[in-house]
Amino acid sequence: MGKLNLPKLSRGNKVRTGVLVLALMLPFLPFVTDYILHIVIIVYLYMLLALGLNIVPGFNGLLDLGYVGFYGIGAYTSGLLTVHFGLSYWLIIPLAFINGAIWGILLGAPTLRLTGDYFAIVTFGFSELVVLFLTNEIWLTRGPLGLPGIEPVSLDLSLFGGPKWEFVGELPYYYLAIVMVAVTVFVMHRIQDSRLGRAWFAIRDDEVAAVSCGISLLTYKVIAFAISAAFGAVGGSFFARWVTFLSPDMFKFWESFLILCMIVLGGMGNIWGVMIGAWYWFL
Amino acid sequence: MFLQQLVNGLTIGGIYAMIAVGYTMIYGVIQLINFAHGEIYMLGAFFAFTFISFLGLPFYAAFLLSMACCAVCGMLLDIFAYRPLRQSPRLAALITAIGMSIFLQNLAMVIWGSRPKPFPQGALPAYFEETAVTFSGVSLSWFHLFIFAITLMMMIGLNLIIQKTRWGKAMRAVAQNKTMAALTGINVNRVISYTFALAGSLGGAAGIMVGAYYNSLYPTMGYIAGVKAFAAAVLGGIGSVPGAMLGGVVLGVAEALGAGYLSSLYRDGISYAVMIIVIILIPAGLFGKLIKETKKSM
Amino acid sequence: MRNKRTFLFAGLVLALALVFGFTTGAMAANIKIGVAAPYTGNLASYGDNIKAGVSLKLQEINDAGGINGQKVELVWGDDLCQPKDAGTVGAKFAADKSIVAVIGHLCSSATLAAMPIYVRNGMPTISPTSTNPTIGDVGKGWFFRNCYTDDFQGKYLASYVVPKLLGKNKVAIFYENNDYAIGLKDSFVAGAQESGVTVTGAEAYMTGTTDFTPQLTKLMADKPEAIFLCGYHPEGALIAGQGRKLGFDGPLFGADGIDNVDYINIAGKAAENTYCTVPFLAQSAGPAGQDFAVRFKKSAGRDVDWMSANAYDCLGILAQVIGKVGPDRKKIRDGLAAINSEATGYKGVTGLTYFDEKGNCSKPAFVKLVKGGEFVAAE
Repeated sequence: MGKLNLPKLSRGNKVRTGVLVLALMLPFLPFVTDYILHIVIIVYLYMLLALGLNIVPGFNGLLDLGYVGFYGIGAYTSGLLTVHFGLSYWLIIPLAFINGAIWGILLGAPTLRLTGDYFAIVTFGFSELVVLFLTNEIWLTRGPLGLPGIEPVSLDLSLFGGPKWEFVGELPYYYLAIVMVAVTVFVMHRIQDSRLGRAWFAIRDDEVAAVSCGISLLTYKVIAFAISAAFGAVGGSFFARWVTFLSPDMFKFWESFLILCMIVLGGMGNIWGVMIGAWYWFL
Repeated sequence: MFLQQLVNGLTIGGIYAMIAVGYTMIYGVIQLINFAHGEIYMLGAFFAFTFISFLGLPFYAAFLLSMACCAVCGMLLDIFAYRPLRQSPRLAALITAIGMSIFLQNLAMVIWGSRPKPFPQGALPAYFEETAVTFSGVSLSWFHLFIFAITLMMMIGLNLIIQKTRWGKAMRAVAQNKTMAALTGINVNRVISYTFALAGSLGGAAGIMVGAYYNSLYPTMGYIAGVKAFAAAVLGGIGSVPGAMLGGVVLGVAEALGAGYLSSLYRDGISYAVMIIVIILIPAGLFGKLIKETKKSM
Repeated sequence: MRNKRTFLFAGLVLALALVFGFTTGAMAANIKIGVAAPYTGNLASYGDNIKAGVSLKLQEINDAGGINGQKVELVWGDDLCQPKDAGTVGAKFAADKSIVAVIGHLCSSATLAAMPIYVRNGMPTISPTSTNPTIGDVGKGWFFRNCYTDDFQGKYLASYVVPKLLGKNKVAIFYENNDYAIGLKDSFVAGAQESGVTVTGAEAYMTGTTDFTPQLTKLMADKPEAIFLCGYHPEGALIAGQGRKLGFDGPLFGADGIDNVDYINIAGKAAENTYCTVPFLAQSAGPAGQDFAVRFKKSAGRDVDWMSANAYDCLGILAQVIGKVGPDRKKIRDGLAAINSEATGYKGVTGLTYFDEKGNCSKPAFVKLVKGGEFVAAE
């Protein structure tokens, strides 16, 4: 009897694999210039951000209007660490992640017990304050003068006797972006299916019922917020090392709103929908 | 200098108060943060500018006409953007509000151009520039007095409308409980429209005064003013009209004193910081009642 | 489903909003030169100046048959005077291999943002208006400019304009929180220390501020004799108006950012008695400059300003270099770098231009005064 050894791919997975292959091959297609890659990388970045933001309204049912604040924090963390200490990007990713999480906890702990509207307002105020801080503390961030000359990402294998390979042009960033998005999607999926994710869905659908099942509302909400912030910060860190120039006005409220629209359009809570939303809004 | 800063603060505070009551009234009746309210304020200034520059109307006539137009704009905003979403999740209405805000900003850019415009100073009564009153180092021009007078009149007028008239009572009823209000025979949609009209006219008046006093009109002027007025409304307790008035004045004074004595760069930050602190510590604001989370999901 | 319908509706409203918000760029053929400046936004009047200047030169070049028979075409890049948009414009120009040089950007902060991209991609850039001193370092040999730097302008204001021309010694500064103004303020303060001018106070403001009354009140408490409008004209005009309303009678002065007819339009009567330094003044320019002023007035329908004049010369310099070396980015850069002495300098409507190893050039400054509702030469 013929027993197929290959796992049967569902239709959805086939489509996704096809898209992935297309994405991997994109830079080699004839009509694709650096400029197009640049645009596509921006879309990937927004996908990453949208996936991060998705946790809060999508999995938790809260409205975060201040997401761009974490994006900015991550970007400036990455930029400043690079400019002042010359840290390698691979070190910066976890640092940005942690920094984002810390700020997520700092902001979330006092505010997550508020109801939806108030929480939205507070997050909005927070992100505006972040921008103001970035703009005015010139001694730290160079404010409106911007932070130029951030080193691009490089892969330094000299410790192992390998070459040092600096990321030049859009191509390496393109693949880096794909990898980062892929990792994020993977992580999101795992979370979705885990106990953590199920607790979040419970909170979203009915808080009272969730509490009566023994779920500590505040803890889970803070965790969600922190993880969301952390991903935002990682997105920011990529952004800093990619455009090599930062300025506070890149992190205005409008960005938060744009990312929110991507999620809404794609369907809150739905990972793939969010990514399609990112594509749509950007193009 | 302190007194002059205080005067500065009261001037801008009165303006914030006028915009803030608009936010608070609309939130009171439909539980929506009308992000586009700042744009009505902006339109007020631009309407007056247009009436004076292109139709040659005298200042007071343009002022009143512009207020009327803003009232209409407020109602149109409700009818086209918010009413269809009355039964929808709050998030949809919020996004629509933000979208309308962006739309109106861009519309203004298309119609009037994106560059800042000076208010036609020639149209203002000449005596506005002159000093009316001086005392201990403070000089108040007639323009200052005009702003104070208008703000005061409007606040008192608004309070009278809300407390003493039938419409006012209807508005309060709708704010308390829409379903019950409908059951007592109140045409809820009409009351909401009326609220928008009232809020819009006040916002428009604020816009005209700001445009004329600071002499700068630009399509994005509504955004920042809107945010600060919103902070003022929150400070006073969202849903409470006297709260919004007080909140506006307090915020204006805090801003002027902060900008004068502390750091002028963080003056916008004062509004945000106040907002965050107030919400965390006393979510109900100075006068308000805590908004209970309705069963409607996001 | 109910939800889907409402979200679609919301999305429709948003789409409408965004449709209004976006604009697009340019097209192709011939020798293409990118021109980057703010063409929309509240500094769009500066972009108009640049457009007017290069357009006049473009017409003259093409009417004469182009460069070695090839016509020149300009590609406009709108950077809104914002670093982020400047980066996008820079990436776009750099990626388009048919664009061989860039005139721009206008604002120092925009140029600073775009320069790393131009350096990485080998795009020669010549700015008619970016005055921040650090650009020369960031440019790594690919950046040139035919205007003076703020190092020079600030010191000129502090050591000549204030003490000698205005005869004042106590100054309060209002400066904008951006590269241009902060650099200018710093060099002014340094110059003031040397020339004995006292700075009674300095207040920073964000771009887009409209209410200056608290800060004016604070500065005026120290009784300055003159106020330095260290920023761009939109805010400068408002400071002038509000300052006069609060009772300040002394002279106001600023730098090239104030030189714009909108300053007078917005401030009205309050603009009287404002001085500003400019790189070009038709009344004081040589015969080439005055002739240019006449041609400009005919083509653009308004009086010439220094940005148009510098932009006109930028295109002229590029045309001369391309005529010698051909439309190749590296060769153009080398050609520009070769203009490094008085002998090899370019004689344009703004005087003689030649670059040092950082791409900077030295140019004289002139002073304008607002008198009787218009700009006149101050001396």
